[in-house]
Amino acid sequence: MSLHADVSATFTADGAESFHVDAEIEVERGESLVILGPSGSGKTLLLETVAGFHPHDGPVTLDGRTVSDTPPEERDFGFVFQDYALFPHMTVRENVEFGSRYHDDTRDGDELLAELGVAGLVDRYPPTLSGGEQQRVALARALTIRPEVILLDEPLAALDVPTRQALRDDLADVLADATAVYVTHNRTTARALADRIVIMNDGQVVQSGTPEEIFQRPESPMVARFTGSNVIDLEDAPSIRSTLDGPSDDVVAIRPEAVEFDGDDGDVRATVERVVREDATNRVTFIVDDTTVDAFADRAPTVGDEVWLTFPENEIHVCRQTATATP
Amino acid sequence: MATSTETRFSLDGVGRVSLAVAFLAIQVLAFVAAYTAGRPTWYAFFMIGSTAVTAYVIRGDSFVVAAATMGSILMVALGLPLFMFVARQQPAIVVEKALNPDVHRMLYLGIYGPLLAAIVSLLFGVPLAHLFSEGFAGQQLVESLVDLPLVVPHSVAGIIILFGFGSGGAFPNVSVLGSMIGMVLAMTFVSAPYAVNATREAFESIDDRLEYASRIHGANRWDTFRRVTAPLAIRGMVTGGVLAWARAVSEFGAVAVVAYSVSFFYPPAGGEVTAQHAPVFVYGTYLQGGLAESGAVAFILLGVSALIFLIIRYLTSDSTTTGGIV
Repeated sequence: MSLHADVSATFTADGAESFHVDAEIEVERGESLVILGPSGSGKTLLLETVAGFHPHDGPVTLDGRTVSDTPPEERDFGFVFQDYALFPHMTVRENVEFGSRYHDDTRDGDELLAELGVAGLVDRYPPTLSGGEQQRVALARALTIRPEVILLDEPLAALDVPTRQALRDDLADVLADATAVYVTHNRTTARALADRIVIMNDGQVVQSGTPEEIFQRPESPMVARFTGSNVIDLEDAPSIRSTLDGPSDDVVAIRPEAVEFDGDDGDVRATVERVVREDATNRVTFIVDDTTVDAFADRAPTVGDEVWLTFPENEIHVCRQTATATP
Repeated sequence: MATSTETRFSLDGVGRVSLAVAFLAIQVLAFVAAYTAGRPTWYAFFMIGSTAVTAYVIRGDSFVVAAATMGSILMVALGLPLFMFVARQQPAIVVEKALNPDVHRMLYLGIYGPLLAAIVSLLFGVPLAHLFSEGFAGQQLVESLVDLPLVVPHSVAGIIILFGFGSGGAFPNVSVLGSMIGMVLAMTFVSAPYAVNATREAFESIDDRLEYASRIHGANRWDTFRRVTAPLAIRGMVTGGVLAWARAVSEFGAVAVVAYSVSFFYPPAGGEVTAQHAPVFVYGTYLQGGLAESGAVAFILLGVSALIFLIIRYLTSDSTTTGGIV
C-alpha cells in the first residue's frame, strides 16, 4: 500500500500566530519514511493532518484511492502517539483490542503483546505502566487492526535512553515490512529506521532523499546543521578554503566523522576549544580561523593544544553557493 | 502548590487523616465546652488561635501561619453559625417536625424537583459543554447567556421565566405558573450553568489525542464519545449534576415567583398533593411559626441534604468510579 499526501492546512492557537503547513510526502509499499525536523517545524501537525485529524486542502491517497474527505476511522491508518494516548480507563487488553470491533481482519492482541514482551500486563491499567511498557502497548494497539499504513509520532521521545534503544530495535523489526511514516527530531533514530527521510522546517519540506543523501549531501545549511554536519562559511575559514580546488566563498558542509585529526600532521592549523566525551569516543571542537569545527577523536586532546586537521575534499559538500544565496 | 518541602512535624508518623480527625475532635470539644459555659465567643478565639498553633507546629513557616490564621477567621464566620444552629435546636420541636406529613412532602419535593432540574441540566447541558470544549464561532455570546443566571438576581430570573413561558409567553399551551413544570424550569434556569461549566471543564481536561486514538483505530464520533470521552468526563458530569442539584435545592427567589406552591404526584399518598419547595416552606414556617420552628425544619433539611451529598461523593469518589486507577 503506497501513500501520497500533498496537504495544506493552517493552524491557529490562542495568543499565537497562525502556523501553515504545506507539504508533500510519498511512501511506497513496505517503505519507512521518516519525517525529521526541529521542534515546531510542523511535522506532528503534518502527520495528524494526513491521519485526518485536521481539515486540510490537497489530496491524501492510498494506492491511488483518495481519502481526503474520509474521516480518520475510515482511512485505514494505525497511529502511535508520542505520549502513548492509551485510554486510562481501560485495561491493557481492552486498549489493544479497542479497534478490533471496527475491523474484520485483526491480529490477536495477546499474541502481539507477547511478541512485544509485555504479555504479563493484560489486566493492568495504563497509568500503572512505565513509559516503555505504555509505548509497547500503544504499538500493539496500532498493529492489531492491521493498518495499511502505520503513522508514528515521536514514539521514543519521552523514554529514557536504555528504553529508547531497546524499543528502537523492536520498532526496526516491526517496521521492516510495514508501510510507515515516522516523525522524529532525533537524527540517530531517523538514520536507524528510515528507508527515506524528509526534512521539515517551518511547515514545509526542505529536502527529501535516502539517509545517505540527507546526511552526506545536505542541500542547505539548515539541513546540514540539523543532521549534525559542520557548516563552514569559507569566508570565515581561509585556511580551509586554501586547501580546496573548487569553491571559493561558498558555505560547505562536512561531517565530523570525516574530519581527520592527527595531531602533528594535516593541512589546517587548529586549536582545541572543547572536548566532550560521547560514549566510546570524544567530540572535539576546534577553532579554525574565525569558525569552529567538530570532529571525533578516540584519544582526547588537551584544550588549548595546537593541532593539525585534514578536510578530505571528496567529503566536503557545497550546501549553499554564495552567488545564489545572496539576493 | 501542593508540593511540601519541609515539615516540622512528621505527617508520615501520624497520618494526615488521624491529624485531621484529632483537630476536628478538639474543635468540637472546645465548642461544647464554650457553649456549655455560655461563652461561645471564646470558641471563636480558640478556633483562630488553635489553627495558628497547629500551622506553626506542622510547618513552622510564618507565611503558612499567617495564611491559616486569616483563613480561620473566614471559617469562624462560616462555621460558627452552623455550630450554633445545630447546638441551639430544641429536640422536641425537631422530632415533632420530623413526624409532620407536611415536612415529609416538603422533603420529597425538595429532593425530587431539584433532581429533575439536574437531569434536565445535564441532558441538554452536556452536549452544549462538549461544543464549548471544542470551540465554535460566537461561543462567547452563548457562554455569556449560559452564565447569565449566575449574576441575575433570582427573583428577577423568576420574572424573566414568567415573561418567556408564562401567560402570553412563547408556549401558551404550557402552564408554568404554580406548576411542577414551572418549578423545574425555574430551578434549571439557575442551576444549568453549574452543570454546563463543570462538565465543560471535564471535557477540556481530556487530551485531544485520546479522541484521535479512538477515531484512527476505527471508532466514529458517536462511539468515541460513548467509549472514551464520556467515561473520562463522567466525574465532571456527576459533579455538575450534584452542583446543579444542590443549587436547585437551595433556590428560593425564582421558585417563589414562578411556583410558590405546586401540585405533584406523591407516592406515599398515592395521588396528587400540594406542597412548597423546601426553602419556600422554611421561609413560610419562619413567618408563621418563628425561628424555633423554621430552625427545626431547616435542621432536618440540612441533615437530609448533607446525607445525600455524602452518598453522592462516596459513589463518585476515585475508588468507586474507576477502581482508583484514573
